[in-house]
Amino acid sequence: MSLSLQNGGAPTRALPSVTTVHATSGGNQRTTRPITTGTSVLGIKYKGGVMLAADTLVSYGSLAKYKNARRLVTVNSRTLIGASGEYSDLQSISDLLVSNALEDRCTADSLYDEDNNEECAGEVWSYLRAVMYQRRNKMNPLWNDVVVAGFRQEPDGTTTDTPFLGVVDKIGTAYEDDVLATGFGAYIALPLMREKYRPDMEEGEARALLEDCLRILFYRDCRALNRVQIAKVTKEGGALVSEPYELDTYWDFKGYVTNKGEIGTDGGW
Amino acid sequence: MASSGSGYDLSSSTFSPDGRIFQIEYAAKAVENAGTALGLRCRDGIVLAVEKPLVNRMLVAKTTGRRIHTVDEYAGLAITGFVSDGRQIVNRAREEASNYEETYGTKIPPETLSARISTYVHYFTLHGALRPFGASTLVAAYDPGTKRHSLHMIEPSGVCYEYYGAAAGRGRQLARTEMEKLSINPARVASGGGEGEGGGGGGGAITVADGVRQLAKIIHSLRDDAKDKPFELEMSWLCEGSGWKHQGVPRDVIADAVEWAKKEIKDNAEDEDDDDDDEEEEVGGGDVMEE
Amino acid sequence: MMFSQPMMSHQLTADADAYAGKSAETRHLKPGELSTGTTIMAVSFDGGVVLCADSRVSTGSYVANRASDKIAQLHDHIWCCRSGSAADTQALTDYVRHFLAQLAVETGRLPEVKVAAHLMRRLCYQNKDNLMAGVIVGGWDPVCGGTVYNIPVGGACIPMPFALGGSGSTFIYGLVDAEYRENMTKDEALALVRKAVSHAMARDGSSGGIIRTVVATEEGNVRDYVSGNALPYGPAGW
Repeated sequence: MSLSLQNGGAPTRALPSVTTVHATSGGNQRTTRPITTGTSVLGIKYKGGVMLAADTLVSYGSLAKYKNARRLVTVNSRTLIGASGEYSDLQSISDLLVSNALEDRCTADSLYDEDNNEECAGEVWSYLRAVMYQRRNKMNPLWNDVVVAGFRQEPDGTTTDTPFLGVVDKIGTAYEDDVLATGFGAYIALPLMREKYRPDMEEGEARALLEDCLRILFYRDCRALNRVQIAKVTKEGGALVSEPYELDTYWDFKGYVTNKGEIGTDGGW
Repeated sequence: MASSGSGYDLSSSTFSPDGRIFQIEYAAKAVENAGTALGLRCRDGIVLAVEKPLVNRMLVAKTTGRRIHTVDEYAGLAITGFVSDGRQIVNRAREEASNYEETYGTKIPPETLSARISTYVHYFTLHGALRPFGASTLVAAYDPGTKRHSLHMIEPSGVCYEYYGAAAGRGRQLARTEMEKLSINPARVASGGGEGEGGGGGGGAITVADGVRQLAKIIHSLRDDAKDKPFELEMSWLCEGSGWKHQGVPRDVIADAVEWAKKEIKDNAEDEDDDDDDEEEEVGGGDVMEE
Repeated sequence: MMFSQPMMSHQLTADADAYAGKSAETRHLKPGELSTGTTIMAVSFDGGVVLCADSRVSTGSYVANRASDKIAQLHDHIWCCRSGSAADTQALTDYVRHFLAQLAVETGRLPEVKVAAHLMRRLCYQNKDNLMAGVIVGGWDPVCGGTVYNIPVGGACIPMPFALGGSGSTFIYGLVDAEYRENMTKDEALALVRKAVSHAMARDGSSGGIIRTVVATEEGNVRDYVSGNALPYGPAGW
């Protein structure tokens, strides 16, 4: 570590608060750390589709630097991803998946989209797992937790009506579920989503639930914002991402306006 | 062939005394006899059409041996000649398009794509160890930066020009003559050059919908159903209607166009029978020139 | 404060101790490396972009250059504001300038600001372990008009109506958030950047000197500066 300069390796630029990763070979020190970060992404299956939600804040440390950054991306006409963590890595993952999708379209069997099968969400998810796992094994992870939403695929390659929702984390762990949340959302939103989830939820119900969760995250996550995007994948409409919009917040509970600091009180906290 | 046996046609790295490179001319010959490939620049987009001869009755023509390929979101290539040579060009074009986008973050401009393809094709005419491509390439592309659509053609020699209407393969002379009648060159229309006796009408360029019909008609009119082998008509477009994406012309649209074309050809033939046989002779003459 | 520390002591210092006595701003620098502890800013308006920067380059707390030019031209109508390591950002701008010139020759047209930002972002992202660079790319192009992109350390790339960067920017986010409006005129944008950067210079020890501005439009580029004794605000205050 302290020998890094002698070995000609890159000198560390780590800040004290930052996680450093030590490669075992060559005594080199590699540092990977998130700098521009996005917070939670939420995902839920509902009747006929899958829905994702995320706010549009990208933080720079504690500075709320970019308030209109999109973290939900369409990969192809029926697959969505959303990511928390390092924003530059999200951009590079999205570039990779989009260029893969374009290559697939160019090298497809037919000139007609309806004859061809786009990569389904399950494939994107598996691919991403391999990429993320390989990168972490090179001690240079892509610093994201990525949620993938779309449809499952039949063995013959055709898309089914069965929704797919999966997540891959920064070390290459991958799993599926009916409800998913990354980052702070895994602690705060996931329990709420599990409580309210039903497989036969209507679109409106799913959306209301996600908006409620985002609102609560805005209250309780210092890196969250009430400017959000919702995205859905449905059989009929394909993948759609909303424009960013603002959520109303509520501060009219009695406890919020009660004064607590007067002499003679305990001062509250 | 005059050049055969002269010794100057063994390699494309040697000029003949009169300044020709025979290997390139032979490569061009390989294209001359292949299925017709047409490209038409219309007011609202580009149409590509290729005649794919069905060399075998048992061929699965729908999915194999394609002549029109997508190389980028807004770019398509039609190839004719040695199709396997053409596929190499298609692969290179895809690489160029995707490298450009990865490097610069924008779509490759049509002129740049065509220039890079032509550089690649031209390279194969320079070395003794290489064989020139026996294929011509039509490039239809849209530029989201300038909002312009354009049509280029690259020939085995590596030359590349932009066209309002381009044709390669068998019957290309006649096809060009036919396309000129569609008044697709605005400059010529403005100067009162080619008034539309074809589908173009008097004013300005035709639409892609019209272009599909006209190309179908040209390809069918070049053929003699009694003599020529059966073929499949491959057509693609890239137009306002397709969001400027390069995609196959819907099969029902092609079917309608072909039906219209056949009727049109039949009607014309009947008209001519009433008058005289001038036109037919012209057709025959054209074919002799090609073979 | 780290100030041209001898190599020897750096090598012998244990990793955790390497931070000892260094500010958060300077401990990431290589021995002797200059940092443009900086305030930079760009605002797009209808038909162009205003770019703005202070002129101080520091090594620790010593002002190594008080008349630096942190606004670098990348192409005819495209500019960038540099912050971070002076050496790194100079090398980066040199590369982007080279690639843009090459591209302009190949395509025969003016490059888009988007392309300049993309090139910069690729270099910053792919070499993120070895670079200390936060760049704002801004300019005019025939496709999108006036455009601004922010490329922070790490190599993300985010299009913005206006962008701030450098150590001084943290002091003026509130000011700029309050004063920025959409669809500003060129003169309003110029007034805003001058006011904002002078406020940053007044509170950020690593920013100072004069205020340089560039206005990039279709017609061309107009360079200007405000002298250090004629700032809209400061350097004194209360």
